[in-house]
Amino acid sequence: MHPEKTISSDFEPKVIAFVCTWCTYAGADLAGTSRMQYPSNVRVLKFPCTGRIDPVFILKAFQQGADGVLVSGCHPGDCHYIAGNFHARRRFAAFRKLLEFVGVDLQRLQFSWVSAAEGGKWVEVVTELTEKVRAMGPMMEFKELALEEQWSGAMISPELQDAYRQI
Amino acid sequence: MINTIDISHYGTVAESIRIEAARILGEGLVTAVVAYTAGRRAGSVQPAIITSAAEAERLTFTAASVNNLAVYLTKAKKDIPRSGRIGIVVKGCDLKALVGLMGESQLQREQLYLIGIPCAGVLASTVRPAEPLTAGNLAPKCRECDAQLPEGCDYVPEIDLPLPTPLESTYAAEIARLEGLTPAERWAYWKEQFAKCIKCYACRQVCPFCFCEQCLCDRNKPQMVDTTPRPAGNTAWHIVRAMHLAGRCAGCAECERVCPMDIPLNLLNRKMAKELKELFDYEAGFAVNEKGPLTMFMEKDDQSFIK
Amino acid sequence: MSRIGVFICHCGENISRTVDVERVAAHAAALPGVAYATEYKYMCSDPGQTLLKKAIREQRLTHVVVAACSPRMHERTFRKAVEAAGLNPYLCEMANIREHCSWVHEDREQATVKACDIVGMMVERTKKNRVLPTITVPVTKRSLVIGGGIAGIQAALDIADSGHEVVLVEREPSIGGHMAQLSETFPTLDCSQCIMTPKMVDVANHPKITLYTYSEIELVEGYIGNFQVTVRKRARSVDERTCTGCGVCMTKCPQKKIPNKFDQYIGMRTAIYVPFPQAVPNTPVIDRENCTRFKTGKCGVCQKVCGPGAVDFEQQDTLIVEAVGAIVVATGFDLYSISEKPKGSPIKGYGEFGHGKIPDVIDGMTFERLASASGPTGGKIVRPSDGREPKQIVFIQCIGSRAREKGISYCSKVCCMYTAKHTMLYHHKVHDGQAYVFFMDARTPGKSYDEFWRRSIEEEEAVYIRGMVSRLYQKGDKIVVMGSDIAVGVQVEIEADMVVLATAVQPQQGADLLAQKLGISYDKYNFYSEAHAKLRPVECATAGIFLAGACQGPKDIPETVSQASAAAAKVMTLFSKERLEREPIVARVREVGCVGCFACKKVCAYGAVEEKEIRDRQGNLLRVVASVNPGVCAGCGTCQATCPSKCVELDGYTDEQIVAMIEAL
Repeated sequence: MHPEKTISSDFEPKVIAFVCTWCTYAGADLAGTSRMQYPSNVRVLKFPCTGRIDPVFILKAFQQGADGVLVSGCHPGDCHYIAGNFHARRRFAAFRKLLEFVGVDLQRLQFSWVSAAEGGKWVEVVTELTEKVRAMGPMMEFKELALEEQWSGAMISPELQDAYRQI
Repeated sequence: MINTIDISHYGTVAESIRIEAARILGEGLVTAVVAYTAGRRAGSVQPAIITSAAEAERLTFTAASVNNLAVYLTKAKKDIPRSGRIGIVVKGCDLKALVGLMGESQLQREQLYLIGIPCAGVLASTVRPAEPLTAGNLAPKCRECDAQLPEGCDYVPEIDLPLPTPLESTYAAEIARLEGLTPAERWAYWKEQFAKCIKCYACRQVCPFCFCEQCLCDRNKPQMVDTTPRPAGNTAWHIVRAMHLAGRCAGCAECERVCPMDIPLNLLNRKMAKELKELFDYEAGFAVNEKGPLTMFMEKDDQSFIK
Repeated sequence: MSRIGVFICHCGENISRTVDVERVAAHAAALPGVAYATEYKYMCSDPGQTLLKKAIREQRLTHVVVAACSPRMHERTFRKAVEAAGLNPYLCEMANIREHCSWVHEDREQATVKACDIVGMMVERTKKNRVLPTITVPVTKRSLVIGGGIAGIQAALDIADSGHEVVLVEREPSIGGHMAQLSETFPTLDCSQCIMTPKMVDVANHPKITLYTYSEIELVEGYIGNFQVTVRKRARSVDERTCTGCGVCMTKCPQKKIPNKFDQYIGMRTAIYVPFPQAVPNTPVIDRENCTRFKTGKCGVCQKVCGPGAVDFEQQDTLIVEAVGAIVVATGFDLYSISEKPKGSPIKGYGEFGHGKIPDVIDGMTFERLASASGPTGGKIVRPSDGREPKQIVFIQCIGSRAREKGISYCSKVCCMYTAKHTMLYHHKVHDGQAYVFFMDARTPGKSYDEFWRRSIEEEEAVYIRGMVSRLYQKGDKIVVMGSDIAVGVQVEIEADMVVLATAVQPQQGADLLAQKLGISYDKYNFYSEAHAKLRPVECATAGIFLAGACQGPKDIPETVSQASAAAAKVMTLFSKERLEREPIVARVREVGCVGCFACKKVCAYGAVEEKEIRDRQGNLLRVVASVNPGVCAGCGTCQATCPSKCVELDGYTDEQIVAMIEAL
């Protein structure tokens, strides 16, 4: 049932990072000013605060073909908006459990705190996720779903089978 | 051997509802009562809103009184409570939904006159309504029910029968089974399930908590979720639905009951309830909370998943 | 239909070295909705901005994307330029292809592909940008200064002299800070108290300054121009209005042996005390932990002898709310504790130097108190252990500083100079004594600084040994200091009478907690972060909050005073306006769809969401919806992510904009 994963050696994973502007975006800027190097796969989306990051965006990112998603913001207590990251922490604690339950491999979804002073940590987190996802191969689940036009599943309830026979 | 569940008190309960409904309507305490009347098939019931004491004799309560009537006080029916105080018949699970709605400013306690039911359980949706209630044909949500006797109601019929002890939860067993699978196997399971979805939105219509005027999933600027019944959009819809109900769902399982395609929707809701209990020690109950588990936080919340 | 202009900057060679800017421009030009795309060597330069403005007019552009450095660097620059050309500034976005691309990737192909993607994302986002009107808010022309050291005093006096009210909050019983503790100051050797105390008195007498000592910041709410600050005024147990400062209570207090923090714990004070004789205010405080009355309920001598009846054992902490428009943070520094590792600090201790164990191993600030004429020894340099004059004294530099393995990699900046000063003070007071200094290198940038350092060697006969100390131990009543002189390549062993450690400058304890209250960022050492290291060194990234002094990083007195005056100038600039323009990044409620569940209100940390009643013409209540007060909203967007039907939207970060970016990938 589950799609065979084709791992080709030249697979370049698509990694999307949702970051807050005050800490992680600034941390990524610092990695730049310090001329640190990391894989070029990541595409950064800036938010005012992790509190603004809707779980639907993560879903949307996977649907748009992301192989890995990173969500990163300020350390607890450092939120520029007092408590946005605390709300985000709860929201994502719940959401990742839901994704896990429907069969998304949580290896592909990383959360981190990266402060404006942690250019090195940004590099570390991005590199680690990129390499992990590269090793896992492309995320086929949502991509395949997008190609499917209609239900091709089995009729698992007696009523459905019954109804089908009557047609 | 399948144990029969004693619901002999449902007759007394029905009679009590009739008397109480007639009284509160007669005394002008309420302008309407939301309750159950007999349906066309033997033993079946249907929701009804009555506005006069004379109509009270039509009311009933049987093992088929499965509907969560709370839904009749939200959404398009939002004007009903505004017309005056409303009486409503509630099982424990229904009351939890009402309490949730009060926490979300959709209802006020003083707008309602609550007729609570000491509930031994209702029938599963696949069973003929006239069948005797047994441990085998009990609605799955009733097996693990911890809310048989609603608290904080204005009126609860007195019965002296002990209520049955909860049975082993079939949801818990199924959740445990799925949790034991690999992500790929779980994905395959849910892909199969969600693929059946025909986007009829019955789950949304019946849910007391889907009270938004415009659902996120109906929006087109931007389109967050594909509205056509295709596998990608279906999957997204069910994930978004489960997330939006997390920390709010009271466990009435109406979504699952009304699904024409038999998608085990309450499994997602139960899973989220289980996680919220473990993560934040939150459970839907009879007390109105000022904030839900996802609209509040504690500084010491778990962050072991964050690097 | 949008006509977007895309402008790709080479940033000299910073971008073009790794990114093929021409290819990016060609890629951008082919994107739907893009009417014009070009590249230029320096977009932020005057010709670059002129090019941008000209293109907006000639190409009738509706939106602009500038692909250059980080928006944190130049977003403001380009939005201003766009505005000057007649477009709403919020129709301009930046694509960060420098910090997030050219500087972090070496492979030209990969960097170019990424730059194209980033530009594509920003083009799609910008299409969904809306015209945002400027929001203006009133300015409360009063200022809060946190910290009453030289930085806070200078900032408070400058602001107050410009005619604006200042609230000055100090944690200790007296203002003065560390500068009041110093004996003399480099490079002129003028007495610290002689130049400091007049300023302290000026603060006390200034009609525009409200002084709260023995007080701390409890809560900060609001935003630039409109902060509400709650100050906790700790119970002094002495009424400030009635106390005359006669000091009889202190002479009569039976508890006389309490180590005085102001004297680095080598001098003693009473339980009712002022930290030093020139304290401002000159009102004593009862140290309740050490007071017999508070410990046992007996005593009460101070109350009995107090003529005006100012002693009040029942006094409670009071909370005062002050409305201010700007905040200057001047909380200063502390010296690195070498005896024990501060709790929760990532920094490792320096137990091997015997501080805290060997009584005659002291830190630089303790030496200041010994050398100070108003100090516990009356200015006589003697050993804390036996009161003898040390004839051989060893100074060790860089204790904690510049030691990555110990957790601090920065230079504490003032130690080279103050150690040079210490050798001079020592030589002036102990004519037959010999001072040795172990140092890594001497850092003396500053007016007349190097001359001063040389004088300590050439005239005051200090012996400088280049090298670090490897071992230090007590032997009889001597301290044996072993180290290497790497200049001559020999091992050195000195039998010293006293050792002075130049310990690292660190932010005050609890600096991080205050930063969290203020909502300002700080680095891994807890020094507060400025908005831009070079061009905005006085401002915090959080608007309306300014930095002065060593809370931002190690600084000497002249630097601290300069920064304090600069911060004051910034505050005055702010106060020169009647209303402030603020970024219109605020949440708005779409009332039509709002169902009034108030999830937004529950998560709003600012209380910006209000309940709004919608009534018909007859006045009947139809429904209650959420409403955002744009003056209070800080623009975090937590409400929008929480709203189930997305009926509250954050301008500038709408779902449409974000989804457009995700879909562009």
